[in-house]
Amino acid sequence: MRIGFPVKVLGQPGLKSHDTRRWQNHPHLSVSLAYLRDIFLYLDRQDIHMYRIAADLAPYVSQPDLPQFHSQIDDCATELSAVGAMARSHDLRLSFHLQLSTVLNALDEAIALQAAQLISAQAMILDAMSLGDEAVVVTHVGGVYGDKGAALDRFAARYDLLAEGTRQRLALENDDKRFSVADIMWVHHRTGVRLVFDYLHFQNHNPEGMLVMEALQACLDSWPRNVRAKIHFSSPRTAMRVIERTDLQDEHSEPMMRAPRPHQHADFIDPFQFIDFVGKVKSVNLPEFDFMLEAKAKDLAVVHLREHLARLAPDAMYWGNNG
Amino acid sequence: MAEAQKPEAGERWRVLVVVLNSLRDLEVAREEGWYRIPLKRAPTRVGADYLAFYQTRVFGEERWAVNYYAPVRRYRIVCRGILLPEEPDHPRADDLYYRIEIGPLRRLPRAIRSRRLRRITFIPTTQERLLGAEEINDLWCGTRDEEQLWRAFKEHGLAPERRYPLAEGEEQRIVDFALFCKDGRLAVCLESEADVRNVRVIREHPLVSEYEAHALGWSMLRLDSRDLLEPAVACVRTIMEAAEGLGGVAAPPTSEGM
Repeated sequence: MRIGFPVKVLGQPGLKSHDTRRWQNHPHLSVSLAYLRDIFLYLDRQDIHMYRIAADLAPYVSQPDLPQFHSQIDDCATELSAVGAMARSHDLRLSFHLQLSTVLNALDEAIALQAAQLISAQAMILDAMSLGDEAVVVTHVGGVYGDKGAALDRFAARYDLLAEGTRQRLALENDDKRFSVADIMWVHHRTGVRLVFDYLHFQNHNPEGMLVMEALQACLDSWPRNVRAKIHFSSPRTAMRVIERTDLQDEHSEPMMRAPRPHQHADFIDPFQFIDFVGKVKSVNLPEFDFMLEAKAKDLAVVHLREHLARLAPDAMYWGNNG
Repeated sequence: MAEAQKPEAGERWRVLVVVLNSLRDLEVAREEGWYRIPLKRAPTRVGADYLAFYQTRVFGEERWAVNYYAPVRRYRIVCRGILLPEEPDHPRADDLYYRIEIGPLRRLPRAIRSRRLRRITFIPTTQERLLGAEEINDLWCGTRDEEQLWRAFKEHGLAPERRYPLAEGEEQRIVDFALFCKDGRLAVCLESEADVRNVRVIREHPLVSEYEAHALGWSMLRLDSRDLLEPAVACVRTIMEAAEGLGGVAAPPTSEGM
């Protein structure tokens, strides 16, 4: 079982995920790749074998009005190949996750086109790194726009228009308010897209009343047999939230206490919830898959969960390797 | 930095301090706009928005100091033969290098000097530190514990060296703070690495063992997470007591006679 985390490294100061300079300051994919190489060395030190790359790794690569950035992926073939080789030698599973602003099923054709171009660019990056089929670009369905059926249809139609290589890299995740596991299963049956099960989203949005193992199995079954699936796992926040409320009249701000909401991610993973989940998975004999932890403490949450598992349920850590 | 925009909230521009060993290297950086690092000897951190240049003894008035910086434009991986075509028969002609392409060199508002005139390889730092540093040791970015201790040292008028190798060429065996005393050298190592103390993150540079330190003529003081619960001032007092046992802190060397 591999356990990974997204983008930002918190365990050691100063490890940047990508070149964040604005276009006027000439950011470049090659600079992002140098940062990525540094993160890979960190992951190797921590024995972490799964990582989500920053969505903006190639800055402005699909920005229509900034054509000077469009050839970065081709220009960085050597550097992409080098970091890809490093990832493979570390047995590092990599992925992208599109930002919420990237909406393939948008009503506006221009927005959808830009989304398709960004998906294609991210798929090209994974290809240029010579990564296996388990390296995917994860996205959500997008907006409902008042007609859920039409929104799902539009996603499927736009998926069909993507290049074959891009389609093979794309994976679709259930969200926590609009499109449930049952909805993304419909898209899978229509298009063949792979599905990523998100545990917390499922708990928050499951109008069909599916059982958790039933939903998980449906998502795992959408992956080719020879490719290991992955899921997203996080615990709901239970701690108090402190937010700053600013009075617009006098710009005075004061802290306000708020109870957490169930869709909010906790800093760390509840180890008992994780162990219980893995126990259920083992009991129904599902195929091996990897865990992307979406906890706010990022890599620290991975390290901390492993410490808990080693103490509380050492067998849980070796599920998959033995199975 | 004139052209730099404000970083995003919570972000800081990253700077990699690199070494210029020859006048030719400075000329290449200034006139041709690039700097090279062999892949085999690249540090654990090469990514940066800016390069800054530590100049060694060959640079006369500018020696043992960081005087210039430049924005990074591009990293390329090329073999030495392509990088330096005038040396086609070099034994390492096939070795791979980072060719880091940079914009125009700018002079820092003030030179950042090394008090001990020390040999330096690479220092990953930030824009704020580069512009605010009074000396080389201000450039290193440490954990919260390390930073608090560094500030406490300065408040007490002490000047240890940070991230100091146990011996020349021992870049992997680095102590967090080195105090040079009249009768010996004192290595101070912090056992904690992450800011969240009870999550066991593996250190970037392995913790030096007491055996290794003693074998190379150092005395060692380790501060674990319980020691670091004490105020930094108390930690400094403990360190000073250890330094007193070695005859007290010695004055740094001067450039005369070097």
